Amino acid sequence: MSEGSGTMTYRKTAGAVALLTSAALGVAVPSAASAAPASPCGTQAMVKETLPNGTTWRLCWRIHDKAGLILDQVFLSTKRNPEPVQVLDSIRLAQLHVPYDTGDMEFDDLTDLGMGGGFLETLTGDDCKGGSARVGSDGSEQPQQRKVLCVSAEPSGLAYRAREEAWDDNGPQPGKLDSKQGHDLVLRTISKLAWYEYVTEYRLHDDGQISARLGATGDLAPSSEADANRGWPIGTGDKYYSTMHYHNAFWRVDFNIAGKGGEKVEQYDTALDGRGEVTAKLKTTRTAIAKEGNFSKVNQRWWRMTSPNSKNADGHQRSYELVTGGDDRYEGHPETKPDVTFTQKNPCEKYASDNAVDPECPANSKTVIDFAKNKENLSDPVMWVRVGFHHVPRDEDQSPMPMHWQGFDLVPRDFTAMNQLTPDGRTGLNGDPQPDPGPSGAQG
Amino acid sequence: MVRYRKWGWGLGIATASAVTAFGVASWQANAAPTAPSATAEPPGGSGQARVSDPSPLPEAATGSGSDPLTSGELEKARTVALTPELASGAEDVTGKAGPEYLSAEIDVEAGGRQAELYYYDYKTDKLIKQVVDLTTGKLAQSFSAAGMQPPASEQETKAALGLLVADPLGAGFKESYRKATGKELNGTDGLVATAHTYTAKPADQGASQCGNSRCVQLIVKTENGQFLSVSEFIIDLSGRTVARLK
Ligand SMILES: [Cu+2]
Repeated sequence: MSEGSGTMTYRKTAGAVALLTSAALGVAVPSAASAAPASPCGTQAMVKETLPNGTTWRLCWRIHDKAGLILDQVFLSTKRNPEPVQVLDSIRLAQLHVPYDTGDMEFDDLTDLGMGGGFLETLTGDDCKGGSARVGSDGSEQPQQRKVLCVSAEPSGLAYRAREEAWDDNGPQPGKLDSKQGHDLVLRTISKLAWYEYVTEYRLHDDGQISARLGATGDLAPSSEADANRGWPIGTGDKYYSTMHYHNAFWRVDFNIAGKGGEKVEQYDTALDGRGEVTAKLKTTRTAIAKEGNFSKVNQRWWRMTSPNSKNADGHQRSYELVTGGDDRYEGHPETKPDVTFTQKNPCEKYASDNAVDPECPANSKTVIDFAKNKENLSDPVMWVRVGFHHVPRDEDQSPMPMHWQGFDLVPRDFTAMNQLTPDGRTGLNGDPQPDPGPSGAQG
Repeated sequence: MVRYRKWGWGLGIATASAVTAFGVASWQANAAPTAPSATAEPPGGSGQARVSDPSPLPEAATGSGSDPLTSGELEKARTVALTPELASGAEDVTGKAGPEYLSAEIDVEAGGRQAELYYYDYKTDKLIKQVVDLTTGKLAQSFSAAGMQPPASEQETKAALGLLVADPLGAGFKESYRKATGKELNGTDGLVATAHTYTAKPADQGASQCGNSRCVQLIVKTENGQFLSVSEFIIDLSGRTVARLK
C-alpha cells in the first residue's frame, strides 16, 4: 500500500472537530492523523477489537504462501486518544533459516517450503481456546477457505499500579489506588513444517506496544544424529545425540506512523561520561541513520523509527522503539549476524535470505546484506529484525516439544502525550511532576 | 480539566460516526459487548475479556484492497496468465505441455487488484511470473529468469518421491521403510512427502547443478506416522535424477 494520502478518504466531520478543538486548546494535533481512512480490505479480512481498557486495534490480515500471516494497515485508538492513528503499514515474517550444527542440513523455510498454503494448519483442539477462529484463504495455489487465524484477548498482567500519597493529622494515610489489569489482542497462526510446528504470533497490547514472536513446538527432527560436540543425548543413556541447530527468524516491519510515512531512523547509545558527585555520569547520544545499513546491538544501544511529520499533543515526534531480548547470533552466514537492517522500501526485497525468487527482480539481491549494500537514502525505511535461537535439544523436548518463543517488541515512544491507559484523576500528571506554582497548561 | 473533558467528548462522538462507516461491527457494540452469542468465550470463562466471533461469510467473488485473491479471481487470472505460447511452448514436471503452476498472490503495492502468478518451465529451466490486471482482465506484464527456485508444487513433490523410490540409490530408503513399517515398499503408496527446494552450496558434492536445475530435498512420512531419513538425497526434477550428498 502506498504511503501518503492518495488512497485515503478522510472523514470530514471527525477531522474538523479535531482541528477546531485543538486550535482552541493551542496544541498540535495533525489533521491527517485524526482522519479515518477508507476500508483497506473487506470485512472477512478485517480484525477490529476493543480490549477491556478501551483500546481498539484495527487491521487487515491475510495469508501469504511463503511468508504466512501478514498484518496490514494496523491502526490504534484508545479511550484517551479515540482517533484511530496508523502504526504499521505491514508486519510479517521475512525468513526462517534453520542450519544444523553438523553442517549437513540447512533450510530457508519461507522460500524452500513456505509458512502458508498447505503448510498452514486448520485450527482445532485447544489451538484457539477462548478466542475466535477466523476463516480466510490459506494462500495456497488453489486457495481454501479455512479457520486459520486465532484472534483472542488475553490478560497481560498488571498494566500499572500507583497509590497516591495522602497525609492527615495522623501522618501518612493510604491514598487513592490506581491498579489495572492489562490485556493483549493476540493474533496467531500455526504452520506445520513436517515434524516442526511454528506459531506466528502478534500481541497488540492495550498500551500501544506490539510484540512479534515465533513459537516452535511439535517434535525434534528424526534421524538427525550427531556427536557430543554437536548433539545432546536424549532417551536413555547416550545412545542417541539429537543434533543442535539454529532457528534464525527474520521479520519485515514497515511503519507508517499516522499515515505519513517517511520515518527517520535513529540509534541511541549510552556510555560512561566521567563522574558526578556520587557515582558515574552517563551520556546518551543520538545518531541519525540516514542511509541503508546493517546494525548490531552493543550494550546500551537501541533504535527507533521517528515520524518527522506527526507529533503527539505534547509537540513531540511520534515514534516506535525496537526492543530486542534473548538472541543467539549465528555466525555461519554474513546475513545472520546483524540484529537489524534498515533499507529503503523496495518491492523486490522480500526475504532476508534466499530472496532471489522473483523473475521481475535482480538475481544477485539475495540477502539483507545485499539490500543495504548500495547505501541508499532512507526516505521510506523498512526495518528487518533478526532473532536467533540456538536449539540445544534436551530430554524435555520429547514429547511434544514445549513451546519455545523468540521475538521482539515495538514500544511506543511519544506516540501519545501520556500513558494510553491513564486513569481519570491522573490526566493532569503530564510534564514536570512538581512544577513551580503558576497557571497550569493544557493537557492532551 | 473541564476543557479537556469537553474535547474528549467531541472527539468521541465524531469517531463513532467515522467507524460506523468503516464497515464492520460498530464501535459502540465493541466497547460494550452485549451479544454473548457473537463473542468468543475467554479462557476460563471469566467473562472478562472477549473478542467478537463473526460467522464466516461466503467467499466473495472479488476481493478489495489487500484481500487475498478469491477463488474466482484466481480462476480468471490463471486463464489469462496461461497464454497460448506458454501452454504449448512450456513443459511441466511430468513433461506435459504447459508450465508447472506454482503459486499466486495479490500485489498489494500495485494499488488495484493485480494478481502475480508463478510458473516453472521445465523446458527452459526458468521461473516465470505472469502479472494479471484483474480489473481489465489483461496480462499486464511477464517475466522469466533462470536460477530461481521458489517452493515446489504438490505435483512436483509427488514427482520427486516417485523418482526417489524408483532410483537404485533409494535402496537404503526401502530398507528404512521395511524397518519402520514391517512391510515392503509398494511404490509411493502410503507415503507423504514434504519438499524443500534445494540450491547447491559451494561445498556440494554431487548436486552442484541444483539452482540452475530445479532440485528438492524430501522429508518422507510413512502411513504409520514415522519419518524416514532421506535428507542426503537430492532429487533433480529437471534432470530426473537422484544424487546423494557427500
Ligand atoms: Cu529446534
